[in-house]
Amino acid sequence: MSEDAPFDLDALAARLAAEDGPRLWRSLEELADRPELRRLMEAEFPDVFEASSVDRRTLLRLMSASLALGGLAACNGGDAGSHAPLLSQSRNMPGYTPGVPVTIATSLPLNGFGRGVLVKSQEGRPIKIEGNPLHPASLGATDVFAQAEILSLYDPDRSDTPLQDGSPRRWEELTRFIRPVRNELVVGEGRGLHILMAPTSSPTLHRLISYTRELFPHAQWHVFTPIDDDARRAAVLDGFGRDLDFVYDLTQADTIVTLGGDLFAEEPGHLRYAADYQKRRRMRDRELPRLFAIETRPSLVGARADERIVLRPRDVDAFVRGLAASLEAGVAPAPDVHPSVPRLAELLRRAGPRCLVVAGREMPSEVHALALAINTRLGAFGTTIRAIEPVRPIIDGAQTLHDLAKAIEADQVSHLLVLGGNPAYTAPADLDLPSLIRRVPHSLHLGQHRDETASVCRWHVPETHPLESWGDLRAFDGTVGLRQPATMPLKPALSAEEFLGLMAGQTVDGQGLVQATWREVWGEGFEARWARSLEDGVVDGSALPSIDIAWRSDWRPEPAAPVSSGGIDVVFAPDPSVWDGSYANNGWLQELPKPLTKQVWGNAALIAPETADIFGISSGDAIDLTVEGRVIRAPVWVMPGHAPAAVTLTLGYGRQQAGRIGNQIGFDAYAVRPSRRPWIATGEIKVAGQRIPLISTQHHHALQGRDIIRVVAPGQDTPQDSDDRPSLYPEWPYEEHAWGMAIDLDACIGCNACVIACQAENNIAVVGPEEVAKGREMHWLRVDRYHSGEPADPSTYFQPVPCMHCEKAPCEVVCPVNATVHSSEGLNDMVYNRCIGTRTCSNNCPYKVRRFNFLDYQGTDYTPSADAMNPQVTVRDRGVMEKCTYCVQRIGAARAGARVEDRRLRDGEVMTACQQACPTQAIVFGDVNDPDSAVSRLKKDRRSYALLGDLNTQPRTTYLARIEIPAEEG
Amino acid sequence: MAQLFTPAATTAFRVAIVLLGVGIVAAGATAYVWARADSTWKVGKPAPQPVPFRHDLHSGSLKIDCRYCHSTVERAADAGMPSAQTCMSCHSQVWVGASVLDPVRTSFTLGQPLEWTSVHRLPDYAYFHHAAHVTKGVACETCHGRVDQMPRTVKAQTLSMGWCLDCHRDPVPKLRPREAVFTMGYEAHGGDLPDDIREFYREASRRLTSCNTCHR
Repeated sequence: MSEDAPFDLDALAARLAAEDGPRLWRSLEELADRPELRRLMEAEFPDVFEASSVDRRTLLRLMSASLALGGLAACNGGDAGSHAPLLSQSRNMPGYTPGVPVTIATSLPLNGFGRGVLVKSQEGRPIKIEGNPLHPASLGATDVFAQAEILSLYDPDRSDTPLQDGSPRRWEELTRFIRPVRNELVVGEGRGLHILMAPTSSPTLHRLISYTRELFPHAQWHVFTPIDDDARRAAVLDGFGRDLDFVYDLTQADTIVTLGGDLFAEEPGHLRYAADYQKRRRMRDRELPRLFAIETRPSLVGARADERIVLRPRDVDAFVRGLAASLEAGVAPAPDVHPSVPRLAELLRRAGPRCLVVAGREMPSEVHALALAINTRLGAFGTTIRAIEPVRPIIDGAQTLHDLAKAIEADQVSHLLVLGGNPAYTAPADLDLPSLIRRVPHSLHLGQHRDETASVCRWHVPETHPLESWGDLRAFDGTVGLRQPATMPLKPALSAEEFLGLMAGQTVDGQGLVQATWREVWGEGFEARWARSLEDGVVDGSALPSIDIAWRSDWRPEPAAPVSSGGIDVVFAPDPSVWDGSYANNGWLQELPKPLTKQVWGNAALIAPETADIFGISSGDAIDLTVEGRVIRAPVWVMPGHAPAAVTLTLGYGRQQAGRIGNQIGFDAYAVRPSRRPWIATGEIKVAGQRIPLISTQHHHALQGRDIIRVVAPGQDTPQDSDDRPSLYPEWPYEEHAWGMAIDLDACIGCNACVIACQAENNIAVVGPEEVAKGREMHWLRVDRYHSGEPADPSTYFQPVPCMHCEKAPCEVVCPVNATVHSSEGLNDMVYNRCIGTRTCSNNCPYKVRRFNFLDYQGTDYTPSADAMNPQVTVRDRGVMEKCTYCVQRIGAARAGARVEDRRLRDGEVMTACQQACPTQAIVFGDVNDPDSAVSRLKKDRRSYALLGDLNTQPRTTYLARIEIPAEEG
Repeated sequence: MAQLFTPAATTAFRVAIVLLGVGIVAAGATAYVWARADSTWKVGKPAPQPVPFRHDLHSGSLKIDCRYCHSTVERAADAGMPSAQTCMSCHSQVWVGASVLDPVRTSFTLGQPLEWTSVHRLPDYAYFHHAAHVTKGVACETCHGRVDQMPRTVKAQTLSMGWCLDCHRDPVPKLRPREAVFTMGYEAHGGDLPDDIREFYREASRRLTSCNTCHR
């Protein structure tokens, strides 16, 4: 492909201008209509297409060999598993039925905050994670990280033995080492002991920390996370005079302005905020809310926003200053203010207390302060935003990572304890933490992996996975969720709680430690509350109350620093797939197409088309990026909608010691992250003249057709397809149920939770980077991302595409062996045992939702432990076509349950995995034969349309058009 | 030029052709018979078990209800195997010293599961649900035969897909009223079924033969 050639932006603009209507495009290459790309996209199987130079004789030879070997393959024992023993339990276990999964309510941490989840555990093996409807941070939904914890739990690279200087040691040897050291430290009251950990919301950890501090009064605590909120905290301390956290209520908001960050993906309450925003949009008695995203790097919230304002980070400050100034009565807007400011100010003023301005964590503290000042001024506190005590309390006297670095340099650190995390990898490079840690005489790392930090510490102690240990976590609003094990520890390990318990001279029994915390708080009636909290997954009434706060009356914004003109802004961001790098060894997440770039197995430096034009580079060209004297080489990705003269680097790649999956993938952005300005820095770009291949799925399974994404104005209809379309195929009768799905494009935020949920539920294989590059990824559900408009600031649309389960399915009629058939309830069944792999069905599928297992994808290095598999779903073999089944195992389970209870299935009883994971309820599944079901009502909605409906496939999965306020009304 | 083939060779060739034809037909017939033979499906063939458990004694002579041991059969996919504790509820009183019960006592004492050999195991891609069957009038005996007369537990039916479909295509003749599901040696098949069940299954036969009823 000739991606090397840079784009001619003027030609693209001319091409767009010549179009007589909105046009959707997936990439700049497609917009430029490169002939190679067109050829590739038109090929049904691009990999075969590229390798099609096989002559007739070779083909015949291969065919006869396949035929002969195919016969041999049939000779192996086909009854695998049938020799598994039938087990009698030793004892009856009340409440447990062998073969029936148990659901356990627990909490999972992300950046120290808890998200409530329900873990489905089959015979003691967790196999699936769902959101906890009772938990305020989840409301039943999950994010990609929560879904993927299953795979992390069974990660074969998890550490299972203590290490001393890299050599395995027995646990007794560890105890023999720790005991005298601890005694020595107790005598010395902790002098020379430094403890490094990530901020945490856990009440038990904080209780243990205070015990440990009593025992070691001179020990120094350091708190560090690469995903820090220091700028926001500084602004809060400055303006309110105390530390606070904020909880937003998007159901109340009429006008929302986000300044960088990603409210729907990176804030601690992101699932709740996405859900609340959609709830607000669905309120029929109120006008649609307005969402404005002022951002450098395209984000999920930006894609969903009514309007994006693309700004370089250095220009955001002036923008917000202008906005704050124009909200002051009687102040004429400054002449050099951004043209959108007056209109935005007017909308904010109109919304009054129903406004909300949120600054992302990468913004400098001045921007945070201005955002809070605007919220205060318009009276948003108490309506759309409330202040609470910090959910992750600050440990008294805790210092930063810098202070630790300084202390090590001054040889003040004799003992270093790293409790969790991987600071040797995530610390900004200029601190050179790995070599500093090596200088500490006694260092110990508690972590799940033998990672970069484990290798520089003298001792490494295996840490438990959150699914196998006791603990407690507060959610974004302070609600406490107890963390209880969903399995016996798979490997011998200690949790951070247990390790601190050991240090504090308390018990090493995690459950006892957590119970002790809550026995102290609850006193009388502990037993009953404990039992109920464990069952619910949340501690009733534990959300932190709002605090009355006052913005400092004499607060004035600091005078604006002059905007420097040199260099290019470098923005660091958590990665949508691997977060800060802690999920790097997770195959599901590595192979998950990132929401906006659709890139897999790696990261890239995101730049604007304009920047690419200036440097004459395109996606895949490497640049040398210099930040404060440090250089990294990174491939660029030309990201439509990115701010010019800026580059975004996502963290978490380039790991050296992540494990067999995550090593040596992508580039390490921490290597150029400056410790003084960890989020936004200034750098220089030099074209490296090298190409680094990037893998993206954006052109895989591409649909050709019009009206793929429909957009309507509020209250407007989408053109309805007529019902009486003639067809040569007979109608199917449906006596009982007829399953169908409706996907609301107005609600979809493109977060990918459904994709991972589907993968976890349906045992979908991870194929690895080489295979994805050939277009062979196996995801049954994909989220297509389209742009429309100018490449500099396009609109972005997401469209989840599962199997459509067509009424007149083109795949069914072409299968030579009847391996894909119509079920009595309208499902398009795939019969794996009949499939001989002709792939004709996929060729005939207009929606490109069928996946072929080219190699034995369930027998590779990427294949997870068999324990992680859902036993209710067949693990498909090589040479077999597979696709979305509408979670037929869930339909079957619900039906069997209803049969046993002698009743009909209720609407909403069957939830598909994608539907259950969705934070915005964009996916609704149910019986279309029942006119009162939720899905039937949605299909009657005026926004409902069928994808490629003019093909008369009569898909069971239909879409609801996205609602957009026309630009001229704004 | 002399004839290449003698008349005898021609005859031999003709015989060979006929034999080949007969051979192919015979091979086909053998395969057909073999695939349907009870022995292929191990019908009537007992498996080695850790304890020589006798259904004829427990179910036949002592008339212990199936559900006493297979306790989840009415609510779960698996019928459930009795725990060692269940066995010990009687065997702590009777046959206390019998050496054949050693594995049960060991399991109970050590907390280790007891490993039986399944004689009815279906392939992994077939998903059978006990409760869905027994609550809808499919009797134990219909699939498992006269268990109450078996000294050693064996398969009574092939449990092949064809055999399953024979019933799924038209279940009504094989169904029983709910109260007779756990009865052994029940005679009056079909006759005293409630009408609504008959009607239900007449309508459901298409669903019962859909692939996804048993395969996922």
